[in-house]
Amino acid sequence: MEEQRIGVYVCQCGTNIAKVVNCEEVVRAVSDQPGVVVAKTYKYMCSNPGQEMIVADIQEQGLDRVVVAACSPRMHEPTFRKALQSAGLNPYFVEMANIREQCSWVHDDPQVATEKARALTYGALRRVAKHEPLERMSVEMCPDVLVIGGGVCGMTAALELADGGNRVYLVERQGTLGGNVARVDLTAPYLDSARDLITSLVTRVEEHKRIDVLLHSEVSSLEGFVGNFTATVETIWGDGASVSQFKVGNVVVATGYKEFDASRVVHYGYGKLPNVVTSFEFEKMLRAGRVQTKEGKIPQYVAIIHCVGSRSKEFHTYCSRVCCMTALKYAHEVKSAIPDCYVSDVYIDMHAFGKGHEDFYKRGSEAKTLFLMYAKNDHPVIRKAGPGDDCDMLIEVNEKLSGEQIEIPADLVILMVGMEAREDSEAVARLVNISRDKDGWFIESHPKLDPVATTTDGIYIAGVCAAPKDIPDTVAQARAAAGRILAKTIRGSIEIDAVFAEVDEDMCSGCRVCNTLCPYSAITYDPEKKKSTVISAVCKACGACVAACPSSAIKARHFTDSQIFAQIEGVLA
Amino acid sequence: MSYEPKMVGFLCNWCSYTGADLAGTSRIHYSPNIRVIRVMCTARIDPTFVLKALRDGADGVLICGCHPGDCHYSEGNYKMMRRYPLLKKILADYGIEPARVRLEWVSASEGQRFADVVNDMTQRVRELGPSPIQQVLAQDMAER
Repeated sequence: MEEQRIGVYVCQCGTNIAKVVNCEEVVRAVSDQPGVVVAKTYKYMCSNPGQEMIVADIQEQGLDRVVVAACSPRMHEPTFRKALQSAGLNPYFVEMANIREQCSWVHDDPQVATEKARALTYGALRRVAKHEPLERMSVEMCPDVLVIGGGVCGMTAALELADGGNRVYLVERQGTLGGNVARVDLTAPYLDSARDLITSLVTRVEEHKRIDVLLHSEVSSLEGFVGNFTATVETIWGDGASVSQFKVGNVVVATGYKEFDASRVVHYGYGKLPNVVTSFEFEKMLRAGRVQTKEGKIPQYVAIIHCVGSRSKEFHTYCSRVCCMTALKYAHEVKSAIPDCYVSDVYIDMHAFGKGHEDFYKRGSEAKTLFLMYAKNDHPVIRKAGPGDDCDMLIEVNEKLSGEQIEIPADLVILMVGMEAREDSEAVARLVNISRDKDGWFIESHPKLDPVATTTDGIYIAGVCAAPKDIPDTVAQARAAAGRILAKTIRGSIEIDAVFAEVDEDMCSGCRVCNTLCPYSAITYDPEKKKSTVISAVCKACGACVAACPSSAIKARHFTDSQIFAQIEGVLA
Repeated sequence: MSYEPKMVGFLCNWCSYTGADLAGTSRIHYSPNIRVIRVMCTARIDPTFVLKALRDGADGVLICGCHPGDCHYSEGNYKMMRRYPLLKKILADYGIEPARVRLEWVSASEGQRFADVVNDMTQRVRELGPSPIQQVLAQDMAER
């Protein structure tokens, strides 16, 4: 075998790696390893100059393999594969050593971290020596798209995609489109009508000739892979059900959220005190144009309590992002309907982060609303007022700014309930094969750089199902997801990863152990030849068959036994 | 200097490797003894990978995959789960403490859990001391 020519590139990632790992030391340690022709360290390997340096070395020094010791391969492997390709090398001849996420960011002793970085780089070095050139496959991309969820997010994505020329199947569980926004009166901070917003979307969606709306429907299965999914949708009619099936190339998950169950916070008495209502119940009053107590009286005192279920140790630690502005909107709406009403706003911090929010807060402060601040995890307590009081309830607040315990009257209390992941988010995650975070929200491919894609090719997430957000952010994500899909479908085909399993027919004994093991039924058996074969486009490269084959006849491309053995030797060397 | 074990981790790409990356982005510190090797799924982990790591000098091997029911490939982790007791049995036959190999479930959102698992495993292997495998191998050679 001809001598290999390997280049090793140790990234400093600014100071992210270099402040803990001695990159020069790693370079020194790899320089004398077999096959290493070039070893360098640089501030940012992923930057243009960093990539150009690698490309130039490949061309000028005749490198045939590259190791990049830098961040996680989940971050920049595609970047360096492209760099290799542009230098005329097979993109699979690069291997990354994860010395940032799994080294410099988790260790603080420079000596130990440098030693670990060296070991990880040795692992990559030995592994890359065994890499084989692989060719990506091109498969047809079905332009049709499945959108799950008919709220603002799903409808926006559907319209964008359909306007772009694609057929869209919009699946909604409820009997109407609109989602949670359809339950809202006005939107903050510009006080536009939510109904107008929804109506214009629904009208366009219903009239669009390329959008098929499936109401009372749920996706029961999704099979296949990017560009070639088969979706099965069950529709419940008045007295029966029907099943439809269609082919789609991509999926947008826009399943939204549900509101926090206020009865879980016992000291607010929700469910026991009749005039303690949730924000959504109050929206209903506003939509009906009747702000009144259960007894039918006009409230003299209205109190709004923020962060119900949000920003709390007991329930959800995250901020639900829309409640602060919605609370200010309520103060405004109550004041407009009942000018003499005393409105108190009991909050932890006022989060006014968005466009127009701070101005809206300023206007609210000037409108004679009493603002009371309470400390996180030191919740106000609501109790029934006595017969001598001129109000229905009394709220005890340890007011943080004054340091005093204050009692405020209330005839109506509005609880700003936070957003939470739907109970079936786990089932949805499994259906489309994506992950959820600790709070049940769907996980994006990258929180900053790739917020609407997921780790499963062809599956996009948008709106609140990925984390709480307001309408403008939701719309932006819906359009982003649609844009990503349009960019892919316009080409008509897609290149898929060359990583899949293949059977060496000479070695295959035809035992068929692998046939039933494959979760995707990607392995077929030829009874004439008495051999098994992998359908490469269907294989998702898990490698279950490879480890199970008693004859070692199946090879996991890019994860071969010899590559992994070499990496084991490297990390322990 | 106190004894520091060498450990190899085999992590599935979708849950545990991402969880380990999350420990990094969250700056959750843990024992530096582990060297991670990424595989697509725990179902890909041939028991020979573990034996090879032990033979090449690892004092402990940690295998991490998606929680049961959460596998990216629907049921790959169940395949690992079934191989695991057999693997432990082989280790005992070789005279290697089965506690040197451990299977744990770490999801993509469990950066803290990954750190905890690594710390705990490192401590246990540290208590076990150096792997007897080099001795076993030498003895085996002598007997031949």
